[in-house]
Amino acid sequence: MAIVTAQGLRKSFRVAAKDPGLAGTLRHLLRRRWQDVEAVRQVSFQIEPGEVVGFLGGNGAGKTTTLKLLSGLIHPTGGVLEVAGCQPWRRQRRFLEAITLVMGQKQQLIWDLPPLDSLRVNAAVYGIDDSEARRRIAELADMLELGEELTRPVRKLSLGQRMKAELMAALLHRPRVLFLDEPTLGLDVNAQARVRRFLADYNQRTGATVLLTSHYMADITALCPRVLLIHQGALFYDGGLDTLRERLAPWRQVRLELAEPVPAERLAPYGEVERLDGAAAWLLIGRDRVPACLNRLLADLPVLDLEVNEPPIEELIGRLFQQGFLEEPPA
Amino acid sequence: MHVLGRARRHAVLWSVQFAYMAEYRAEIALWALSGVVPFIMLAIWQSAPLPGLGLDGPMLGRYFLSAFVVRQFTVVWVVWQFEEDTIQGRLSPYLLQPLHPLWRYVAAHQAEQATRLPFVMLIIATFFLLQPAALAFPSPPRLLLGVLAVGLAFAINFLLQSLIACLCFWSERATALERLLMIPTLFLSGLVAPLQAFPPGLARLALKTPFPYLIAFPAQLLSGDPLPVEGGFTVVGGFLAMALWIAVLLPLLSLLWRAGVRRYGAMGA
Amino acid sequence: MVVWLLAPLRDLRRHLVSLRRFWGTSLASQLEYQFNAFIELLAMVGNLAGSLLVLWLFDRQGVPLGGWSWAGALVVLGAYTVLTGFTSCLLQPNLSRIVTHVQEGTLDFVLLKPIDSQFWLSLRTVSAAGVPEMVLGVVLMVGAALQERGSLNPAAVLLMAAMLMAAALTLYALWFVLATTSIWFVKTWNATEVLRAVLTAGRYPVAAFPPALRTLFTLVLPVAFLTTVPAEALLERATAPWIGGSVAVACGALAISRAFWQLALRFYTSASS
Repeated sequence: MAIVTAQGLRKSFRVAAKDPGLAGTLRHLLRRRWQDVEAVRQVSFQIEPGEVVGFLGGNGAGKTTTLKLLSGLIHPTGGVLEVAGCQPWRRQRRFLEAITLVMGQKQQLIWDLPPLDSLRVNAAVYGIDDSEARRRIAELADMLELGEELTRPVRKLSLGQRMKAELMAALLHRPRVLFLDEPTLGLDVNAQARVRRFLADYNQRTGATVLLTSHYMADITALCPRVLLIHQGALFYDGGLDTLRERLAPWRQVRLELAEPVPAERLAPYGEVERLDGAAAWLLIGRDRVPACLNRLLADLPVLDLEVNEPPIEELIGRLFQQGFLEEPPA
Repeated sequence: MHVLGRARRHAVLWSVQFAYMAEYRAEIALWALSGVVPFIMLAIWQSAPLPGLGLDGPMLGRYFLSAFVVRQFTVVWVVWQFEEDTIQGRLSPYLLQPLHPLWRYVAAHQAEQATRLPFVMLIIATFFLLQPAALAFPSPPRLLLGVLAVGLAFAINFLLQSLIACLCFWSERATALERLLMIPTLFLSGLVAPLQAFPPGLARLALKTPFPYLIAFPAQLLSGDPLPVEGGFTVVGGFLAMALWIAVLLPLLSLLWRAGVRRYGAMGA
Repeated sequence: MVVWLLAPLRDLRRHLVSLRRFWGTSLASQLEYQFNAFIELLAMVGNLAGSLLVLWLFDRQGVPLGGWSWAGALVVLGAYTVLTGFTSCLLQPNLSRIVTHVQEGTLDFVLLKPIDSQFWLSLRTVSAAGVPEMVLGVVLMVGAALQERGSLNPAAVLLMAAMLMAAALTLYALWFVLATTSIWFVKTWNATEVLRAVLTAGRYPVAAFPPALRTLFTLVLPVAFLTTVPAEALLERATAPWIGGSVAVACGALAISRAFWQLALRFYTSASS
């Protein structure tokens, strides 16, 4: 039984448009032009309890809008949506107590007070009694390696500490579904790794379902066996990260160190020449052709050194977002 | 050439600010409405006429209408804006640009006043519809003097408020001081009571401060009615006093601004 | 010995500058909040003095405002002061935050809490800044009423308290409705300024206004119910229709604020990005 079900989910907005300059301003004053923007179009997917799913897309692809739809902050324009057995936009108590939303660029902690005060407020709001709240705070603080930071005003905390405290505030009520929008935004590499470890750990311990967006591929590769790719509001891939890598990069990058510079034409028969720099060359060669090509290369050219690389997933996905679609795998 | 360049820069700045302000026209209309205090006071003054005030009903109407108009074009919010810019860290890039940041605020104020103009016209028209007895316009020379006085009043108010804004360099909460400045601006400027109604001693005292020149003096010029004979302003005296205040405040602001920027630099912001 | 004592003089300028820096920074850091409280007090005193000045301009010429004596008008001013204090205590700190929530998108967090969002937004914080003003207002009301009537009837005091409560609820509802419009217009600071400006009419008895405005201040903007009715209650002049009206206005305004918030939320959740 899926815990998140979206079917044909749609969301469109009306926005006003204005031309630059004084004339544009005056025209805008007299008559506003409206444009309908399709932020999410016909998105369908299901998530099973306990899954950790990465949600990827460029800026403005519709990730945040989808998360807002899922958490019930906005009404869908169309489609079917069910999260934790509820329709999110009705925001019933039962639903709100089952989910949480963490936004890396927004914070719910009270700026001038220690996190502990915000946590106490949240405990009261979610109807958690004092001793239970203390137990949960201690447990989460332990997992997140937070101590006396909890009694320091939020504004005195580092970004990493603040994010960890935000996670505590978001998880105090033990939600079954976590929506995380850029939870590691702006954190340094160590803090990112700690948040990642915590999320994996939390998922293991509680079996909570996690849907995560991030700009950092490391978050996704570390946490999410399954990814959803979205471009201009439409879903165009739903599946395993490994499968995606294979489909995206049916080739390997081969770096050659030659005894003397060789023109591109001489290298072209072996594979696509990516770059030439003096006596160094980078070739892209189809995965299944690699062994045969290497044999011929070594035989034909004065190769001093050679290196075969798997292309980094960041680059692949970046290319994919520019392209906006995924080619069907060759039959 | 230099002057021309500066004028062009100001024009561009102004048109961008105008676009920005026009986006907020509903806001600004509301803000114009939030200047209703003179009208509320007018209602009270017309219901309880004071003996010996020298202002009859229609004259009171014209005075408070003029006070409203003057207030509309002399409102200054530089403290608020400056504090916001300091907190948000926008000030540092402004300081790097070859344009004194205060000019940016002057342009913003002027653009905002231009956006206000239609609403103010509308309110003037509505006022004369409701009080046709008060309908009268100042003679053209008088109007010209009035407009000049409004411009100078804006300058004085802008300088005063900028002085407080400069305190943002030292304290995060300079807006609190602006609240204090609002009190004499409200009660001594002639916004709630014409200066003629003050006991002579208090009126003389008020005239020693810049506040009556912010509202009462330009309003009396704009109203088109004769200036009160005693305890009031003369045209020449009023303009002299305004020039004097500008001559005092301008160097003061320049000093405080420079000290503030030095401190801002020293704090490593 | 003498040389040691006089050492600072050798570099007088530098020592004076340092001293100024020492004191300047310590004062700035200590006084940030106390200074604010002090300014609030000054502003309160200044505003009250200004209001008294205007009333006095009429009183010194023997002109009663709408038939109200000096002391009676002071009771109205007292009620106004109490409500201003209430505004600084609760309305200002909470409701101005709604705009911030909308601008920064943190309203989302409030909406995802399993608790009534209007409750959260209206009562999240309280500030002590308005307490002196409320106390001063009550003192002014009671003192002026004593001057006017010689003695106070406990029933009248109770009725005044009830009327002030109704006034506070009405005022809250008005503010809340305005703050709610930030969901559509984002910046509504100016709308609250309009409300504030119009409410300054409450400094004076509603009878001081011409009939048309009196009707406006009773039926459209409930200024009369905010200050004049509580003052009349204390002065034992309040009539049943006004008392009933005050309660009805408070209830109606609260209901409207509630409905309006629901409407705004429906819009927010269907239009925001």
